[in-house]
Amino acid sequence: MLAFAVRRIAVSLPILLISSFIVFMLASLSGNPLSPLLNRNPPPPPETIALEAERLRLDHPVLERYWMWLSGLFHGDFGPSVQSNLDIGSEVAGRFVVTIRLIAIAMVLALVLAVVVGVISAVKQYSKTDYTATFLGFLFLAMPAFWLAILLKQAGIDFNNAVDKQVIYTIGDSSVPLPEGFGAQVADIAGHMVLPTISLALISYAAWSRYQRASMLEVMNSDYVRLARAKGLSRQRVMIKHALRNALIPLTTVTALDLASIISGAVLTETVFQWRGMGDLLLTAIHNDDVYVVMAWLLVTATVVIVFNLLADLLYAVLDPRIRYA
Amino acid sequence: MRRSRAASLAAIAAAATLVLAACGGGGGDGGDASEGGVYQDCSADPNTCNAVPAAQLQKGGTLTFAIEKNISNWNINSSEGNVFEPAMAIKTLLPWTFTTTPDLKQVLNENVFVSAEQTSTSPQTIVYKIKPEAVWSDGTPITADDFVFQWKTMNGKDCPGCAAAQNAGYNQVQSITGSDGGKTVTMVFGTPYADWKNLFASGTPLYPAHVGAQQGDLNTPEGLKAAWDWFGATAPTYSGGPYQVDNWQDNVALTLVPNPKWYGAAKPPLQQLVIRVITEASQEPIALQNDEVQVIYPQPQVDLVQQVQNIPGVSQYQGLGLTWEHLDLNLKNEFLADEPLRDAIFAATNVQAIIDSTVGQFNEDVTPLKSHMFVPGIDGYEDYLPPEQGSGDVERARQILTDAGYTNIAEGQQLTRPDGRAVPPLRIRYTVGNAIRQTTVELIQSQVRPLGINLEIVPTDDLGGTTSSGDYDLIVFAWVQTPASFSNAEQTWNSSSESNYGHYSNPEVDRLMHEAATSTDLGPARDKLNEAGRILAEDSYVLPLYQKPTIIAAKDDVANVRNNSSLDGPTYNVEEWGLRAAG
Repeated sequence: MLAFAVRRIAVSLPILLISSFIVFMLASLSGNPLSPLLNRNPPPPPETIALEAERLRLDHPVLERYWMWLSGLFHGDFGPSVQSNLDIGSEVAGRFVVTIRLIAIAMVLALVLAVVVGVISAVKQYSKTDYTATFLGFLFLAMPAFWLAILLKQAGIDFNNAVDKQVIYTIGDSSVPLPEGFGAQVADIAGHMVLPTISLALISYAAWSRYQRASMLEVMNSDYVRLARAKGLSRQRVMIKHALRNALIPLTTVTALDLASIISGAVLTETVFQWRGMGDLLLTAIHNDDVYVVMAWLLVTATVVIVFNLLADLLYAVLDPRIRYA
Repeated sequence: MRRSRAASLAAIAAAATLVLAACGGGGGDGGDASEGGVYQDCSADPNTCNAVPAAQLQKGGTLTFAIEKNISNWNINSSEGNVFEPAMAIKTLLPWTFTTTPDLKQVLNENVFVSAEQTSTSPQTIVYKIKPEAVWSDGTPITADDFVFQWKTMNGKDCPGCAAAQNAGYNQVQSITGSDGGKTVTMVFGTPYADWKNLFASGTPLYPAHVGAQQGDLNTPEGLKAAWDWFGATAPTYSGGPYQVDNWQDNVALTLVPNPKWYGAAKPPLQQLVIRVITEASQEPIALQNDEVQVIYPQPQVDLVQQVQNIPGVSQYQGLGLTWEHLDLNLKNEFLADEPLRDAIFAATNVQAIIDSTVGQFNEDVTPLKSHMFVPGIDGYEDYLPPEQGSGDVERARQILTDAGYTNIAEGQQLTRPDGRAVPPLRIRYTVGNAIRQTTVELIQSQVRPLGINLEIVPTDDLGGTTSSGDYDLIVFAWVQTPASFSNAEQTWNSSSESNYGHYSNPEVDRLMHEAATSTDLGPARDKLNEAGRILAEDSYVLPLYQKPTIIAAKDDVANVRNNSSLDGPTYNVEEWGLRAAG
């Protein structure tokens, strides 16, 4: 198992290096970080523009800039941001925590919902419950993330109007200033989490519930489940102990592999709800032609995706002994 | 079975609620937001609309104002910090000389100054008198030292490492001296500078020199640079304005509380002023509707204006700002170097049709701009543009080309010059993602097509690079005007200026611009700018399109907050902002 994991990591490193080179070139050649300065009216003095170009290493060829960035990484230097006061390393660390908080809760919510709904749909196949769940699943699957978020925002405002109290918030992860009192602060933070979490969770839930339903149906129709029933085991015991456990294996893999798309979904969710996570960082960096921040984002998210893919492989082996034995 | 049906109905109802909620766009009772409400007087009285006397305001309370950009640098005078939205927030902490009021007039900031006068024209000398009670929040008086620090960091000589947003004017100052304990500041120019009111004004406010001196010796370039960088990197622990910083959450919000040492006549009635960073403009109306913010000042777009109009209990007002859109031609292009072709393009361009299809969709007050030098409302504005320019008169355009000897003047043909050379497709550029400019260039493309002129639309994601490298034949973008814009005009149009992107050159215009910029008498200076503008218009180099609108929207219980379309923005009178007392 250890050798397998080490081998997978060793394969991932060249991929990371190549992707960093490609993204650096694309980011460096697709825009000009000096553009906002050059656009000014009246324009800044030429000396100011020259100073900024030097600070951003634009006086070096692009290949040299890539090498400077790569070698700087080994000293913990992520390069200069267009925002001169920005420490990219600490900024990314802070943003990562925000995004992970959003993603983790959304994933748990989506998983629980997907498993429950998927199992019920499978057990009650072709019932009205199954049709309703199917309809909702495809509805959320087809809905663009930003549109769903805006729908939820409007529903949240309507809810606040209905109860005549501000319970649900649409901007940020907490109020400024935070209300006084522990209970009020918890309620405030929860009120800020509701909509983005639901928004992100529903997108993942939609696909995962379909996987869970299909997987559950496949297991339920397998010989060993029929055998278990024939031997007189209760329906509940067969479903939970025998069928569900095996039906969870594909979902485990899908969940880990879907992490990349959840991070993509978080870009939109964070933008709409104004959470200052990794998604917001990426969009701002692209908008500002902030090459080194884009690269830091790439490094972190690519590493997370690689780790989760590895985790998926390892979990698969843990859950299905046949993989290990092979 | 019954439970299953109920669950199905609930699920369908939930989905339907979501969809209907989106289509409904707000709902609720009460009147729609409109230019009525608390802003009904703003057209007639831009400086006093929504005014409520201090006695009728709630004592205390929190008001949240949304800005669209994070504060990444606290030094407004630096190239990085000189960004409109953050500057609105930071200026609540700083003193300055001249304010631009909502009627676009430059007036002395009487919170800080007793007077600011030109006492001599040779050499040009300005004397500022600072109020004796004007102090920084640590009790240190605001004095000439603060002027000297700023001058040295922005003149391009004493601090070469200070990346100043501009040094125009500061580089013409010969000396700044203090007297009366530093409360009288005498500034002498080496060469006259007509825009002297722009110096130390709200665009480049004062920072505390005594705080800067803690970072290094302000008599050395290194010390100046250290102070300059510190002011950029550090959230202010000082204040010379009505508020001071209580808390700063990067990228989230700046929380301000009244400065106890504030010396101005109007004392802030609010307990807290929160400046909330909302970088996605489309989310601002939703936050306003949910009362998470009470004032927004976004860039107006059709959808956004409609969203705001549907919010009950909110008033909005649209003003016409100092930013103006224009169509530029690159005279380095050998075909566009021929004036009749330029005349014809400008005649065929229908500016009113462009307005009707873009900003006119949400603002009926926008009209074609008829000057390059001033916008309506600023002293000196004259409507001097030749009537055919921007008229959309295709017949007139054809006549111009025919008279000049051009042939194949028809749609589907390729316009041909008198020397027999066909005019090739010309590239018209705009900033990618800017829907209004995209519509504008598409309209221009169709408007000149009947002349046999084919425009190829090529968006750019690097407007600054495109303009400075001259990588365009035609381009649509915007410039920002200031009430005192003499040196700005010279920078934009002078033959040798790097900002003269289209390589326009006319010695007579150069002379008039320079005389205006170095004048000490503003009346004749304005006449010279208008004279230069007339020549510029006749040369058909740049076609002004329109002033861009601005929009402010606020809850109806918000008082003394009003639109200010200048670069000062609505926070120009932040010390007066408050909430109406209940009942």
